[in-house]
Amino acid sequence: MNSFVIRIGGEAGWGIATAADIIAKVFIKAGYHVFLHKEYASQIKGGHNYHTIRVSSIPIAAPIEHVNVLLALDSATGEKHTTFVVDGGTIIFNDSVEIRTTKRNVHYVPLQITKIQQESIEKNVANAIFVGAAVKLCSIGYDILESVMEDIFKHKPVLLETFRTAVQKGYNSIEKSNTINFPALKKSLSLGFYTGNDAITQGALDAGITFHAQYPMTPVSKILHNLAKDAITTEALTVVQPEDEIAAINMALGASYAGARAMTATSGGGFSLMVESVGLASMAEIPLVLIEGQRPGPATGIPTKTEQGDLSFVLSAGQGDFPRVVIAPGNVQECYTETKRAFYIAEKYQLPVIVLVDTAVAESFVTVTLSDDLHIDFSQRFNIINTVGNSQIKDGMFMRYEGEPLLRTVPGTKNGMYTCAGDEHTEVGCITEDPTIRTSMMRRRMDKLNLIETELPPPELYGSSDADVTVVCWGSTTSAVKEVVDTLNSEGKKINLLQMKYMCPFHTTTVHDILKKSKKTILIENNYSGQLGRLIKEQTGIAMHETITKYNGQPFTVDEVYKLIIQKW
Amino acid sequence: MVELQDHNSTEKPNWCPGCGNFTILKSVQKALTELHCEPHNAVLVSGVGCFAKLPYWTKTNGFVGLHGRSLPVAQGIKLANKDLTVIAFGGDGDGYSEGGNHFIHACRRDVPITYIVHNNGVFGLTTGQYSPTSDIGKKSKSSPLGSTERPLNPLAVAIASGATFVARTYAGNMSHCVDILTKAIQHDGFALVDVIQPCLTFGKTTKYYTERVYYLDDKYDPSDKSIAFIKAVESEHGQKIACGILYRETKV
Repeated sequence: MNSFVIRIGGEAGWGIATAADIIAKVFIKAGYHVFLHKEYASQIKGGHNYHTIRVSSIPIAAPIEHVNVLLALDSATGEKHTTFVVDGGTIIFNDSVEIRTTKRNVHYVPLQITKIQQESIEKNVANAIFVGAAVKLCSIGYDILESVMEDIFKHKPVLLETFRTAVQKGYNSIEKSNTINFPALKKSLSLGFYTGNDAITQGALDAGITFHAQYPMTPVSKILHNLAKDAITTEALTVVQPEDEIAAINMALGASYAGARAMTATSGGGFSLMVESVGLASMAEIPLVLIEGQRPGPATGIPTKTEQGDLSFVLSAGQGDFPRVVIAPGNVQECYTETKRAFYIAEKYQLPVIVLVDTAVAESFVTVTLSDDLHIDFSQRFNIINTVGNSQIKDGMFMRYEGEPLLRTVPGTKNGMYTCAGDEHTEVGCITEDPTIRTSMMRRRMDKLNLIETELPPPELYGSSDADVTVVCWGSTTSAVKEVVDTLNSEGKKINLLQMKYMCPFHTTTVHDILKKSKKTILIENNYSGQLGRLIKEQTGIAMHETITKYNGQPFTVDEVYKLIIQKW
Repeated sequence: MVELQDHNSTEKPNWCPGCGNFTILKSVQKALTELHCEPHNAVLVSGVGCFAKLPYWTKTNGFVGLHGRSLPVAQGIKLANKDLTVIAFGGDGDGYSEGGNHFIHACRRDVPITYIVHNNGVFGLTTGQYSPTSDIGKKSKSSPLGSTERPLNPLAVAIASGATFVARTYAGNMSHCVDILTKAIQHDGFALVDVIQPCLTFGKTTKYYTERVYYLDDKYDPSDKSIAFIKAVESEHGQKIACGILYRETKV
């Protein structure tokens, strides 16, 4: 595997995340692609946290198992992660904590953390000392490290000074004889470094979001943080942290009804609370973008870990039959594009669009540019009218729930009044129980899915055109599978990948035709029951030949997928 | 010029004859007319319950959402377009039970909307169960031996939660209703108007209220929070029910 991996571990509250962030940015500045994966516990201080920085000269977006350099701030890191360190690898450790494991063919490099900190004014700088040591170990010039620190601490000069002093001590404490030759590449790539949450935020901003309501919940709290910050400088954007998720979605619906481009975000638990209101959005035909970041359930589950266990739930959540769109981006770039697409579909077709991500894609950083060829002019409104003609009025009310295309007014429009109704309603939104109207209103709503299907790009196979094996997956798992497909094809095997992104509406005919031609299908999902497999069976009648599931809170690694596919071949 | 009939729908309400909701509907329309609010610039937001059908029977923008959820919807509307006059409706079941959390936090958040709660002390549309504002001992289908729960005091809750306009009016007195609603709509902040009303089918009688209701006069100072609490708590004795603006914070 074309990769070099640095892992840093220690307790929550020790600045592990900051250290990992700096190391990652140093390698990006040195011209490399970086994937940064965080593993942390649901506690603010203590516990065991570790962050893994995977560096490569080609784009990467998935975790692998081996570690080249382990930065062990505590003994727990040594105990848990030494086993992953490769032959010829290095463990840099704090010389005043005991690293109980020893491994042959691994270089152990002690850092005199206690001594250095005693000499310093600031005491809690172990993370900085490790950063300096790691960068020197990889033979990367100090100038790159300095510019990264200046960038990260540009608004905190005092912290920069403290951090820099400690970093230099760490940097200088590595002997030249211990270094690994890891040269900076000639040209620095102009790539951003974003998580799925960041990409969703940027997608929402580029789609012209004007209202966001969100109750904090892992793994998507960063969307709230990002947008709250953006709202300071973006006049048109309102961000609210309401009392609960039910308020969040209902505020977003109120704002959307009143003309805002509105979004909410939550995880499975919060989504459970929102479910009735998702039905309201569909019934009353209100545009809504809803981000659902999956983590292991049920109940509180494992709050900070990853899983793909909510697919069946979001597809069927809510009483009654109603249209919703469910889109599951597979990487950070797709989080950006699909969020934009979600805003477009929601506004044009006036229904809830759920963007389903998982912790692994929401919180992992990758080097990416966040651009696409989605040509949508978000400066215009879709299907909102400003003037209402006499033919559109009945008894003084606008016939909002009638006709094609789907047109709506927003409050404040002269002659545009109607009742936005969660009850079954007439063309002007008045409550009714009339069986004929009920039937036509159900059809009006459900028919939207047929129109939307034609707007969504159908799935395509990736990899060999004459494959012996077709792997089927979705969400963050896609990145690991894609890398394995590339590797296996380069090794002479014939394999391809079917990534499912649009779960509802579902490209039934296309998927059926692809799978019917597949010689052998292997389903890979980060959940217990193979929920995508069930959906495909329901939609196409085709069952997967083999199913690989994983539900321990961890994402699939590239190595793991490679081994499992070979086993099932 | 806005005329009262501009707010009138051709649809006719299907509430029980004599229901206080008729008075509240007419009072809202009169208040909006007095304030020269054109129908397309007002939004009436409700949830689920007898009261909640009110927007269907006006010729104004309406949003009839879910049980207990009118407040977050109304706040979202106002935050999206501050030029709209936004009135949310609740009932004692819808607003104080199902939507209790939203009520407390809307008081704190102080988004300038009016919240009218049709408070008749009983669940009407589900055929007469005891509600959060029913008296202890209230016998109903779901409390055959009498409710053992203390009634919620919505005005005291609102004052304690930071509401800046807290008022009570009585559906048996339309001119008072119109007066209070007009002031509530004009208030630059969250305004609670708890409207007590008989439920002729399942609840207390008109006689019960006419014997107890009295009106705060000009001598009453609504800017004193402690006095407002005393007035709010007074009704818990079941003898006197003060109507008027109990508390109003003057914004600097």
